Order: sequence, then C-alpha cells, then structure tokens
Amino acid sequence: MENKTMIRLVVGTEAIFFLCLIMAFVYMAYHAGFEPHQRSSLDIRTTGAYTVLLLGSSLTLMLAERGYRKGSPRGLKGWLLTTLVLGGLFLFGQGREYLRLIHKNITLSGSVFGTSFFTLTGFHGLHVLIGLIVLGIILLLAFLGDYDRPKKGGGALGTAAVYWHFVDIVWIVVFIVVYLLPKI
Amino acid sequence: MAKSIKIPDPIAPFPGLGASTNQGLLQWISAVDHKLIGIMYLMLSLVFLLAGGVIALLMRVQLALPVNHFLSPETYNQFFTMHGTTMIFFMAMPAVFGFSVYFVPLMIGANDMAFPRLNAFGFWLTFFGGLLLYFSFLAGGAPDAGWFNYAPLNGKNYSIGPGIDYYAMGLLVSGIGSVVTSVNLIVTILHYRVKGMALNKLPLFVWMVLVNSFLLLAAFPSLNAALAMLLLDRQLNAHFFNTANGGSALLWQHLFWIFGHPEVYILILPPFGILSEVFQVYSRKAIFGYPFVAASSVAIALLAFGVWAHHMFAAGLGNTVNDFFSASSMLIGIPTGVKVFNWLATMYGGKIRFTTSMLFAIAFLVEFTIGGLSGIAFSIVPIDWQLTDTYYVVAHIHYVFIGGTIFGLLSGLFYWFPKMTGRLTDERLGKWFFWLFVIGFNATFLVQHVLGMKGMPRRVYTYPDLPGYGLLNFISTAGAFLMGISVLLLLYVIRTGARRGRPAGTDPWDGYTLEWATGSPPKGKNFEDLPVVSGRRAFWDMKQREKNKNTQYGE
Amino acid sequence: MNRPFSFQAERISRLFHSFNVAAAAMLGLVILLVVYISIRYRRRGNDSGEGAQVTGNNLLEALMIGLPAILLAGFFFASLAAQRAIAPPIGPDLKPDVIITGHQWWWEADYPQAKVITANEVHLPVGRRLLMEMRSADVIHDWWVPELGNKTDLVPGTSNYLWLTINKPGLYIGACSEFCGAQHAWMRIKVVGENEKAFNGWLAANARTALPPADSLAVRGAALFQAKTCASCHRIGGTPAVAKVGPDLTHVGSRNYLLTGMLSTSEANLMAWISHPQQIKPGAWMPDFILSRDSVKAIAHYLESLK
Ligand code: HEA
Ligand code: HEA
Ligand code: HEC
Ligand code: CUA
Ligand SMILES: [Cu+2]
Repeated sequence: MENKTMIRLVVGTEAIFFLCLIMAFVYMAYHAGFEPHQRSSLDIRTTGAYTVLLLGSSLTLMLAERGYRKGSPRGLKGWLLTTLVLGGLFLFGQGREYLRLIHKNITLSGSVFGTSFFTLTGFHGLHVLIGLIVLGIILLLAFLGDYDRPKKGGGALGTAAVYWHFVDIVWIVVFIVVYLLPKI
Repeated sequence: MAKSIKIPDPIAPFPGLGASTNQGLLQWISAVDHKLIGIMYLMLSLVFLLAGGVIALLMRVQLALPVNHFLSPETYNQFFTMHGTTMIFFMAMPAVFGFSVYFVPLMIGANDMAFPRLNAFGFWLTFFGGLLLYFSFLAGGAPDAGWFNYAPLNGKNYSIGPGIDYYAMGLLVSGIGSVVTSVNLIVTILHYRVKGMALNKLPLFVWMVLVNSFLLLAAFPSLNAALAMLLLDRQLNAHFFNTANGGSALLWQHLFWIFGHPEVYILILPPFGILSEVFQVYSRKAIFGYPFVAASSVAIALLAFGVWAHHMFAAGLGNTVNDFFSASSMLIGIPTGVKVFNWLATMYGGKIRFTTSMLFAIAFLVEFTIGGLSGIAFSIVPIDWQLTDTYYVVAHIHYVFIGGTIFGLLSGLFYWFPKMTGRLTDERLGKWFFWLFVIGFNATFLVQHVLGMKGMPRRVYTYPDLPGYGLLNFISTAGAFLMGISVLLLLYVIRTGARRGRPAGTDPWDGYTLEWATGSPPKGKNFEDLPVVSGRRAFWDMKQREKNKNTQYGE
Repeated sequence: MNRPFSFQAERISRLFHSFNVAAAAMLGLVILLVVYISIRYRRRGNDSGEGAQVTGNNLLEALMIGLPAILLAGFFFASLAAQRAIAPPIGPDLKPDVIITGHQWWWEADYPQAKVITANEVHLPVGRRLLMEMRSADVIHDWWVPELGNKTDLVPGTSNYLWLTINKPGLYIGACSEFCGAQHAWMRIKVVGENEKAFNGWLAANARTALPPADSLAVRGAALFQAKTCASCHRIGGTPAVAKVGPDLTHVGSRNYLLTGMLSTSEANLMAWISHPQQIKPGAWMPDFILSRDSVKAIAHYLESLK
C-alpha cells in the first residue's frame, strides 16, 4: 500500500518533469524555429517500430505480474525476461537513431533542434535505463527465489511496474510531439 | 471510555536510537529516527542562517555609505546570490522540513515516517547540496547571477567561473532530497494516522504539510528541468538559453518562476500550519473556521501555479498575459486573508497567554500583512512597472520571509522547544530576543520601501550619493546589526535552555495535539498505544476524559 | 514615489496613491484588531480555563472573503485601465523615435530618422508622445527612469517598446534595473528632456561628424586613437573608427559624464579612465592598456575636444 502510494507520487512529479521538457521542446520550436531539414531527417518508420516494441514490453510486464499473482514463478521469470529484452531493444533502437543523426551532423551543440531533441529523448532514454536496471534486479531476485510465493500488492514488482508503464506512456507523448506532430 | 489502539512499530529498526545517547557523532550520522533527523535539519538550518546572515551583514556594511569600497563588485554579486540562495534553499527549506519530519509523525500518532531510511537519505541530499554550493567559494568563485539566475547571464559567455555549475548541481541534489522527503511525508500522513483521525480531524499543521508536500512535488520538477538544461548549456554547449545561438532568455524565466513562485508559498504554508497550532493553544480556544483555514491552503497551492509571470511584468509579455497574471496574483490575497482573519477570530474571546512563541505569532499578523500588501502592490501591473527590481522588492521579500516564514518558525521553535529538549527556554530572555529582533527587522526593511520608491534598484553593489539614499541605507545597516545581535542572543537562549532550562514535563502548555501525549523528548518509540481519536484536539479530548473519570470516581 | 514628470508616471503615481490609501486601511484594520483583541482577551491572573469555544460562523467567513474580493476587484479594474493608457498596442507600421540598446554596462541611443548615434546621455523632446524601441546586445537589462514612469526589460533576441510623453524639460536620472553582471550598479541613465527647439539643435549638432583635431596634441591623440586598439571597439563619426563594441565617442566631449555617471567629463578623468579602466570600473569590457603617460594625455586631450 505505502509503496504504491509512494510510486504514484514519484510518477506524478516525474510526469511534471517531462511536461516541462516537452513544453521546452515546443517553446524552442516556436521561438527559435527548427531547421526543417533537420526535423525531416528523423526516421519515423524505424522509430515507430521500436515504439511498438516498448509498448509490447508494458504488455509482457503485465503478464509477468499476472504470473506472479497466480503463483507461477516460471511465468514471472519468462515474461520479465521478455520485458527486459524488449526494453533493451528499444534503447538499442534509440542508440542507432542517435548515431544516424550524429552522422548527419545533428548534435546537441549543433543546433536548436539538436539541443531540444537530444535533451527530451535523452532524458526519456535515461528513465528507460533506470527501469531496466530495476527490473533486472527484480529478475535476479526472482532467480534467487524471492518471488516464489505471491505477495499482496505485488511487492517491489508491482511498484516497478507502475514506473515502467509510466515510462511507456511518456514515450507515446514524446513520440507524438517529436515525430508525428507536423511543424510545431 | 475509548479503547486504546496499539501503535505499530516503525518498519525499520533504529540503529542509532535504541542505544544510549552516548554514541556521539555516529549516532547522528547513522540516524534514521525521524526525531534525530528533524533535529539535524534544524541544526543545518541554523548553521546556514548564520552563514547567510553574516553574508547579509557584510553586504549591509558595503551599502552603509554611498560609493563605498568595502567589497569589490565581483564579491558583492557573489554575496547577494549566495545570501538569497542560502536563505531560501538551505535555511528556510531545512527548517520547514525539520519541523515537518519531527512533528508530523508525533501529531498523527505514528512511531516514525513511512520510509525512515528514505527520510535520512533526503536529509543527507540536502546537506551535501549545501556543501556543494558552498564549495564553490573554494573552487574559483561562487555563483554570481542572483538567486533566480537569469539567462543569458547564467551562461558560459557571461559567467565564466564555475560558480553557476555549483549552484545548479547543489540545487539539483538538494532538490531531489526535498522531493524524496515530500513523498515520504505524504505517504506518512495518508497511511499512518492513528485510528479515528480522519482528514477533517487532522491537526492544521499536518494539513498544511500535506498540501505543501503536494505543492513541492508539483513545483520542483520545473526547477530540476531548468537546471538540467542549464547544465547541458554550460557543459555540453547546448542552446536552450544561449541567445547568441537561437536560444531564449525568457524560457529560463518561465521555467524558473513556474517553480519559483510556488517555492515561496512552500516556505510559508508550514509556518501557517505552525501558527494555526500556536494560536489555538495560547488563546485556549479551538481554531475558528477549521474548514476555511484548511481549504484556503488548498486554494493557495492551486493558485500558486497560475501566477508565475507576475515576476515578468516588465519583460514584455503583452497586456493580455499581464492581466491574467495580475488577476490570479490578487486572488491569492483572498485565501491568505481568510487565514489571517480566522486566526484573529481564534484569538477573539480567548484567554491569551503572551509567551515568546505567542508574541511571534501575533507580530506575524502585522508584519506579514505588510509584506502581503506590498505583494498586492506588485500585482497591480502599472505599479509593478515602477517598483519591480527595486528595493521595494527587497522589502517585500524580507517582510514575507522574515515577518512571515521566520516569525512562524521562531514561534514554532519556542512552542516545541520543550518537547524537543525536555526543557523550557528562559521566557525573560526570549522576550528580549523578540523585541530586539522585531525592532531590528523593521529598522532594516521598512526604510527599504522608501528607497525603492525613490529609485534605488536592487542588486547594486553601490549607489551614487543622491538625496536621502545615504541616510536610509545607513538606518537599514544599523537595523541589520541589531538583528545580528539579537540572533546571537537567540543562540544563547537556545544553548542555555537546552542545557540548564527548567524541566518541562510532557505537557508544559496544556497542549491540544498528540505530540504532547508522550515524553519530552519522546523516547525512541513515540507511542505504545493511543485511544481512538474522535475530535480535532486529540490530546485535549484524552485529558478531558481522564478528568471526567476522576470526577466520577474520585474524591 | 518620486514626483512624476511624464504622462505615464503621473498615471502610475495616481494609481499608487489610491492603492496606498486602501492598503493602509487594510493594515490599519488588522493592527486595530490585533491590539484590541490582545488587550481585551489577555489572560487575567492565573486563569487556567479555556476561552469560549466558538469555532465558526459562516456569515463572518463570507465577510472575510467578500470584503477583500471587492477591494481586489477595484484594484484589478484600475490596473487594467492604467495599463491600457500607459502601454497602448504598437501598430505594425509605427516607427520608433529612439532605439535604445543595452550593453554591459552602457546604453546606446540611436535616432534612426536623424541618423544620430550617441551613448549614455539620452536627449528627448518634451510634450510629444515618443515610441522607444528597447533592445539588448548581450544580457537582459532594464530601462528605468523613475520620474518618467514605467520600466521595460531589454531582452536579447527581441524588441520591447515603451511609450513616453515627458511633461517638463529637465535632467532625469535613472538606472538599469535588471541585474546584468559585474557593473550593473554603474549602468545608470541620464535623460535630458528638452523643448523641441533645443532638442533639434542638439540633434543637428550630433548628426555632424566629429570635429577635426584642433591643436598638435589633439592631432597626436587622434593618430594614436586610430593606431592603438581603440578603433577596434569605438566609433568616431567621420574617422576610420567605426566599431560599436564600446560607446560612440563622436561627441564624447560634449557629454557631461563618463561611464554612465561615474566620472564627470574632463581631461583628467579621461586620462584616469584610459590609463586604468579596470581600476575605475572593474569588470568593464575595456581592458587595461600599456600606454605611456604622454600618449594617454594626447588621447584624452583629443577626446575632450570632441564637442
Ligand atoms: C514567503 C514568501 C512570499 C509570500 C507569502 C509572498 C506573497 C505574495 N507575493 Fe511575493 N515574492 C516573494 C515571496 C513571497 N511573496 C519573493 C521572494 C519575491 C521576489 C523574488 C525575487 O525577485 O527575488 C516576490 C515577488 C513578488 C512579485 C514580483 C515583484 C517583482 O519582482 O516585480 C509579486 C508580483 O505580483 C508578488 C506578489 C505577491 C502576492 C500578491 C502575494 C500574496 O500571497 C500576499 C497575500 C497576503 C496578503 C494580501 C496579506 C493578508 C491579507 C489580508 C489582511 C486580507 C486583506 C487584503 C487585501 C484585500 C489586499 N511577489
Ligand atoms: C528567508 C530568507 C531571507 C532572510 C532570513 C534574509 C535575511 C536578511 N537579508 Fe536578505 N534576501 C533574501 C532572503 C532572505 N534574507 C533573498 C531571497 C534575497 C534576494 C537575493 C537576490 O537578489 O538574488 C535577499 C536580498 C537581500 C538584500 C538585497 C541585496 C541586493 O539586492 O543587493 C539585502 C540588503 O540589505 C538583504 C539583507 C538581509 C539582512 C540584513 C538579513 C538579516 O535578517 C539577517 C539576520 C541574520 C544574521 C545577522 C545572522 C547573525 C549572525 C551573526 C551576528 C554572526 C554570528 C556568527 C557566527 C557564530 C559564525 N537581503
Ligand atoms: C575591447 C574593447 C575596447 C577597447 C579596445 C577600448 N575600449 Fe573604450 N570602452 C569600451 C567599453 C565596453 C566601454 C564602456 C565601459 C562601461 O561603461 O562599462 C568603453 C568606454 C570608453 C570611454 C567612456 C565613454 C563614455 O561615454 O562613458 C572612453 C572615453 C573610452 N572607452 C576610450 C577608449 C580609448 C581611448 C581606447 C584606446 C586606448 C579604448 N577606449 C579602447 C571598450 C573598449
Ligand atoms: Cu544593465 Cu543592469
Ligand atoms: Cu511570485
């Protein structure tokens, strides 16, 4: 109970943090105006595919939770591992996108667009990474037998899951604002 | 008779406390008990009060005479930046948290915070954030762009030294600490109340801390985002605020004040809470208009997010924007007025005891109203166009921070001192302190209203010898030294009180709330058991029942 | 507040006076209540009883909310009206009479119609509504002359506008009011309000290029000014010096003050400044030079002659 309240509050402030970053992105787009060719060098298709993977990871995490609640440690471990892999793939995809952009000379210090883009997506990536580390620790504990018997409220897993879903939702918003909305 | 409820043990054992108090420093460093952490916050706050205060005195010496050469411009600019930053983030914030983590669990009948270790973590983040900020003095220059650190002056082009980086890191670290502690406080209040203490029976101090913690959670992310962006600008050459490369100077102002304005209310709501307790106990009357006092805090917290651009009236946002923020700023005066008048109504018809604590509370009513009214002056846009960024603002700041926040905190200090130490302070010396402090304070800052109206801008290291400037500034400096002397007296009062004061017993003021139901200072475990709470004055009800029982069966 | 000498300042001054009356009444009420209640309801003797437990009254609460609300509504509408009068919207084709650019730590004044550029001492005509455009070359500054009314920030990257109608000729002093770095304190303002005739005379005089050096010392100074680094930062109209990093010096000898008011203009003060800028105005963006005393004297003599 306490943990759930706690993580909800944390997620709440984090949401406002991202709101500020997103507002800064939009503000920069209006105020300074992004260079159109830079904006258009974003790869919507590939990033869209990785987005689906990230969303999938939310689903697999729910399945992992269900496995846990149903008292099936195997289900838990399997789905948790899948979640980690999907999250890892997303980060990998983001890394590739970064490299591609850097090759095109779009960097944090190169332009207003670069500044806004790398800051917003970078902070999101950082949160994915933190989520992966937390889930990784839980998986490790699960292999050590900590999660063999179900706990009310889902224990640390339930707490981490709230966070992970949040990170996903943030990505949806970021993806829409950065990739999909035209010309903001 | 209500039956007693056993109060659950805190989840974490106390490594520091179960043991005797003779473990010295180790006991403090390893502490997770909310009372020890509360004391540490208050000590931290006191240390930074002295640091920020000494800096202020040096500034006042420089300003005592026109065209003075006591401090170089660089030093002066670092000083006022460090003074403001210290006082807000490392004096007032720790003091607010100190009282919150010490008394919230006691007042809701809990044995500790929800997450004791997280509580310690939050304190140490604040502590190291402060160290980081002050380390800048050794690392080649303190921050020098003012406490709100406007862009692009905060950029590498204009502030070359490392000071601003330390400012950003220090505030990020302590900011995360504040967020963590607020989460902890909310969870504690929502989940650890003694049975029967519904939200509409919560002591008002706890109410305000609850609202305040939500306010903090909503406000700090904006600062953290701005600081992160600033660090990216300074360290990795990003262009958020770098106007030469397409960045925006006003983006910083928006982000900072979306945080900054709620921040100043974060520093006044808990003192409001303290006063709501103090007025009741020393007037011997339950609070007048409980629902209004509680709800007005919520109103203030909500409005606080809609007023930030009143710090930017002169920045050229346009009349429509200004109108909106002018109206919302004025609106805040209403819930604040509701509080002031309800406190007056609480005193009305009471039997007022003029302890040192109560004197500060009463003085607060007047001094804070002066500060609030100068705030309303700024919310009238054309008046702000004349007075913004002058000494009138400096006067406003100090009337609300000292006449508001500090008076509230001092009132709380004298009220709860016997609980925290088990001993009473010397009331005679306490009253001496009160009068010296009040006179010094008004001498320092009342004249600054006039200076502002005469045309003296703030943040100037010196000023030409224009008519009246010299005299008014000299009075202000003299007042500041009187305050300095009174603070020394305060230190003496605290020290002798803690060492040699008369033993206080558990309940020296005939208190109303649960913190008075346990020992002074409370032992490692606050409560063994408590009865179900049925009214707003939980401990008062307990005492009444006890009395009734005695009259029934006794004599 | 200082006595108002412009339409804008008068408007604000009136508003401020009425606010002060209302605020004093509010404060008076609070003080009155505090004093009365403290005396009337102080504890007498050792009475350890409770007060009469009255814990609410909705009518009273409504009064506490309603009374301030009415007062504030009054303030709000007064604010609206004054704001509209002081800062009416700027049409798209309005041309500014003066362009003020803030620099760390001096002011550039540019009269686009007359093609006059000067620094620090701003001459303005009286009795006419002027539109001033405000810009910044580096950080945020803020233009404020208390007797002439409202201030405006000078924000890098954008322009702000200020309407000003001066009522009376005179010397008005002000100061940069947004903290802008080391020498924010010495970024003061002098506005000379003049009637139309005097203003036009001043404008004509300043539209001329710099006077040629009149004596041999001045000739040497002029040559040094061009030869040394001075010309890479300063402009002297009619000479090869055209840079705008530092204040325009075309008619520096005709200004009353140097460095926004730190020193009065004289050969001695010019010498002091040119030989050790960093001692006089530490942090200013003009470095100390290695110049012989004679060279300094020559340059100062030349600059002083630039009336
Ligand atoms: C504890 C801190 C605190 C508090 C409580 C307040 C309270 C208020 N402040 Fe203040 N403010 C600051 C701290 C605080 N402020 C600081 C630090 C700055 C400067 C930052 C900087 O630039 O460095 C600042 C600056 C500041 C500005 C910008 C000035 C400028 O730079 O141009 C404005 C403008 O609107 C403002 C307005 C207000 C208002 C309307 C209130 C209101 O909440 C006040 C409400 C209270 C009352 C009105 C009194 C009690 C009410 C009654 C008795 C009822 C009857 C009253 C009426 C009907 C009017 N404040
Ligand atoms: C809670 C907040 C708080 C508090 C308590 C104070 C307290 C004081 N402040 Fe401060 N002040 C601010 C918040 C605060 N201030 C802020 C936010 C700014 C704006 C900064 C900015 O522009 O960026 C400001 C700015 C500010 C200025 C304007 C600077 C400028 O614009 O150029 C001045 C000038 O007079 C001033 C003076 C004082 C004085 C004299 C005190 C006194 O009350 C201090 C009293 C305390 C003492 C005097 C300490 C006593 C200690 C001793 C006597 C020595 C003992 C020593 C040892 C044992 C080692 N303050
Ligand atoms: C690197 C740029 C730079 C160089 C080179 C430079 N100056 Fe300056 N000068 C400035 C700046 C900037 C100011 C404004 C200082 C201030 O008020 O903060 C200034 C101010 C002045 C003033 C005062 C003007 C006024 O109206 O207040 C004089 C006179 C002056 N410089 C003369 C000289 C001379 C003579 C030299 C050469 C020996 C010189 N400057 C070289 C940048 C420069
Ligand atoms: Cu320019 Cu302050
Ligand atoms: Cu504010």
